[in-house]
Amino acid sequence: MKRRSTPTPRVSSAAPADPARRRVLGAAAAAGALGAWSTLSFAGAAGPGGNRFVLVILRGGMDGLGAAPAIGDADFASARGPLAQYAAPPLRLDATLALHPNLGELHAMVGRGEATIVHAVGLTYRERSHFDAQQVLESGGVRPYELTTGWLGRALATSGSKGIALSTAVPLVLRGSSVVDTWAPSVLPNPSADLVARLERMYASDVPLATALERARQLHFDTAAMQNNDDATAMTGYGARPGAFVALAQRAAEFLVQPAGPQAAVLEIGGWDTHANQVNPNGALAGGLRQLDAGLAALRSGLVGGGAWSRTVVVVATEFGRTVAINGTLGTDHGTGGVAFVLGGPVRGGVVADWPGLARSQRYDGRDLRTTTDLRALLKGVLADHLHVASRALDAEVFPGSEKVKPLQLLRA
Amino acid sequence: MASSLQLQSAIAAHRFGLGEANLAVVDSDPQGWLAAQIGPADAPRGSGLLDTRQALDHVAAEREKRQLAKNPPPGMTAEQLISGHYREVIVADARSRLATAALTQRPFAERLQMFWTNHFTVSLLKGTARGLVGAFERDAIRPNIAGRFETLLVAATTHPAMLRYLDNWLSAGPDSRVVAFEARRAARREEGPRVSGLNENLAREVLELHTLGAESARGGVYTQADVTAFAAVLTGWRVARDPDPGAPVFDPNWHEPGRKTVLGKSYGEGADALRQVLHDLARHPATARFVSTKLARHFVADDPPPALVDRLTAAYLKSDGLLAEVYRELIRDDASWHARPTKLKTPEEFVVSTARLLAFGDRWFERPEANNNAAVGAIGALGQRLQAAPSPAGWSDRADDWLGPDAVWKRVEWATRVADRAGRIVDTRQLAAQSLGPLLGAETARQIERAADGPQALALLLLAPEFQRR
Repeated sequence: MKRRSTPTPRVSSAAPADPARRRVLGAAAAAGALGAWSTLSFAGAAGPGGNRFVLVILRGGMDGLGAAPAIGDADFASARGPLAQYAAPPLRLDATLALHPNLGELHAMVGRGEATIVHAVGLTYRERSHFDAQQVLESGGVRPYELTTGWLGRALATSGSKGIALSTAVPLVLRGSSVVDTWAPSVLPNPSADLVARLERMYASDVPLATALERARQLHFDTAAMQNNDDATAMTGYGARPGAFVALAQRAAEFLVQPAGPQAAVLEIGGWDTHANQVNPNGALAGGLRQLDAGLAALRSGLVGGGAWSRTVVVVATEFGRTVAINGTLGTDHGTGGVAFVLGGPVRGGVVADWPGLARSQRYDGRDLRTTTDLRALLKGVLADHLHVASRALDAEVFPGSEKVKPLQLLRA
Repeated sequence: MASSLQLQSAIAAHRFGLGEANLAVVDSDPQGWLAAQIGPADAPRGSGLLDTRQALDHVAAEREKRQLAKNPPPGMTAEQLISGHYREVIVADARSRLATAALTQRPFAERLQMFWTNHFTVSLLKGTARGLVGAFERDAIRPNIAGRFETLLVAATTHPAMLRYLDNWLSAGPDSRVVAFEARRAARREEGPRVSGLNENLAREVLELHTLGAESARGGVYTQADVTAFAAVLTGWRVARDPDPGAPVFDPNWHEPGRKTVLGKSYGEGADALRQVLHDLARHPATARFVSTKLARHFVADDPPPALVDRLTAAYLKSDGLLAEVYRELIRDDASWHARPTKLKTPEEFVVSTARLLAFGDRWFERPEANNNAAVGAIGALGQRLQAAPSPAGWSDRADDWLGPDAVWKRVEWATRVADRAGRIVDTRQLAAQSLGPLLGAETARQIERAADGPQALALLLLAPEFQRR
């Protein structure tokens, strides 16, 4: 791939784990200001033993340069000030790049050639609103609200896959597939089948309620055995406890390894909006990264145990990166370019980044890490090579109008 | 055949209120019933509620206890010092909010309070706002829901909970005295400064979520430069780390000197500039449209009729942002009274309207949270943990976002629990007719009539489309 074979001058070292001239950056994200919470969604019944896909959405705008610091960039330390200081040494990947010290598991995956760090990646949307940017991230459009369904939902629809969401609400990214289920652990007893049958009659004239009830009924009666024990109940009632994301990741793996399990799962973690006090080693960013790292490890472990890791690709993405420079309150404000991670058995590993540099003149608007890779290129590459979505469908339906965005090749041939 | 007046009574009670066990309370004049409720929200019920000053003191005391817990004095454990910290305050807030809504005779005002509390979201998911959310609702929102939007906007923006939630208390002018002082102190100690400049969080969200709306950013009404300049205007509006009773919320030492230009207009240095910017934002046509759209979406339809939004916007602009006038227009407009309810109740509305339907008194809200059908925990289990909206945009006001299969299933589970007890002592057939009136559909009435027993009949009523929607 062109990008990998022609590193830009600023970051030139090769990944230790890979003879190709790939750059290895740090991965992971910042947990942040709005407090951590997490959810899990599933989509699509695949053929037995088919390929699996997991999307982890980091809501709030993960600081890409906090999670994957460009410590070898000459302008990194001066722009970041105290944010360039870490409680423990960053986990080096090469002469230039490193991972946040709380991303040890991800670092190990990079070392094993199972994880690729894609840096300076982002959306074509550049206006820095969380809500608009998340809409674009999930819808797969260019401008907010031009599309009302999600790219993953549309991708699954091309193969007639159905969906299931392991959260109370269906995330936008999954909307558009013919059916999407949601599932979340419950602490209440199951209603009687008789009541549900009566409700179905009563909902005959209310299609949205009828559809939701029907999907829920199948899901709950089908998975009743799975509901009984579980840390994932930590997600209900008074909200997420620490470790809830790990429990959800474990649950995601349990679903995905089933022969007739879903083809895709969506996990979400909030809390990355680190406007203030990002430097705190016990703060939201550090804690979020720790939780993300543990969750990714749990997901991997469950998939390995169930024999599905070799056919699973996981993409971790956020709506935008944050400002290169530290702000006035030891945090970072909304930016544009950031980092994404791709992991799984079929992944080549290493780093992909057309590094723009961090000097003020190299930044977008003089403030943000410049986006040099369209996130859609990453997603198109994974959907094409792993879920075998046809390129015409990718260009026209999944990411409409994206003919010129060439898919990245991130998986082993 | 129901008269249109009966239908209007049912719509007034359910769409604009929080449901009634008997439509007789609406009497013969549904519009008049609603209009008479326009005004400040009820005084909150309950005890143990902190005002803003007390809540800040409590936060400061909690911080001290945590400091102390790092090195507990003899005879005390760290756990004793920090256990139960904010929980009592938050549970008291939540119970008060629900009991007030369940028992009020002015449910339209209560709905407006809920709408504005969500519009100006402050969430305890951010630790700095924890313990202050209830005081914010009571002191900044409740008294101001029917006055000028500007008054509400100023109260919300300058409340300590908002200043902390969106980081403004930490934002300093890059050329402010505190930044210069911090730089000198840091140099002396050979460490980094704790504050060095702006934090744009509050400025951006006031523009995007509270006034002009995201559409305005997309349309170029405001730009990044306006966000940055507005952030400079906002500097100095903060809450001291150790609040001193009577201390001003504005600290000039943190304020950025010089004039700032926001939306093409120049504002002077000092505390007063914020009020001037908010004054101008409140009168901006984009704000009028944004607020009108959200109100119409909340009460009438996820995608409200454009003509209704136009008329609300006109009422807003004509009255100089007097919210009472906008509400009067809303309840006067035929488009608001369409016969088919499409809005799905939020979990909070569902639980509160259940309490009103079944005439649960104060005591229902005092149940221990270990009890699964206690109100506060139930709303959380249904997906809307009180005081804990996931982002500054607040809870969604669109049915799609509440209609995930699991969310609907949890409503079924909870309704089953409630009905298991209450269904044995009420006549659900009569209740359905008295509460829903002409809204009650033939199929729902038939299913209730044929229910296997009382609990099942009540569960069916609570889960009926006519009760889930409004």
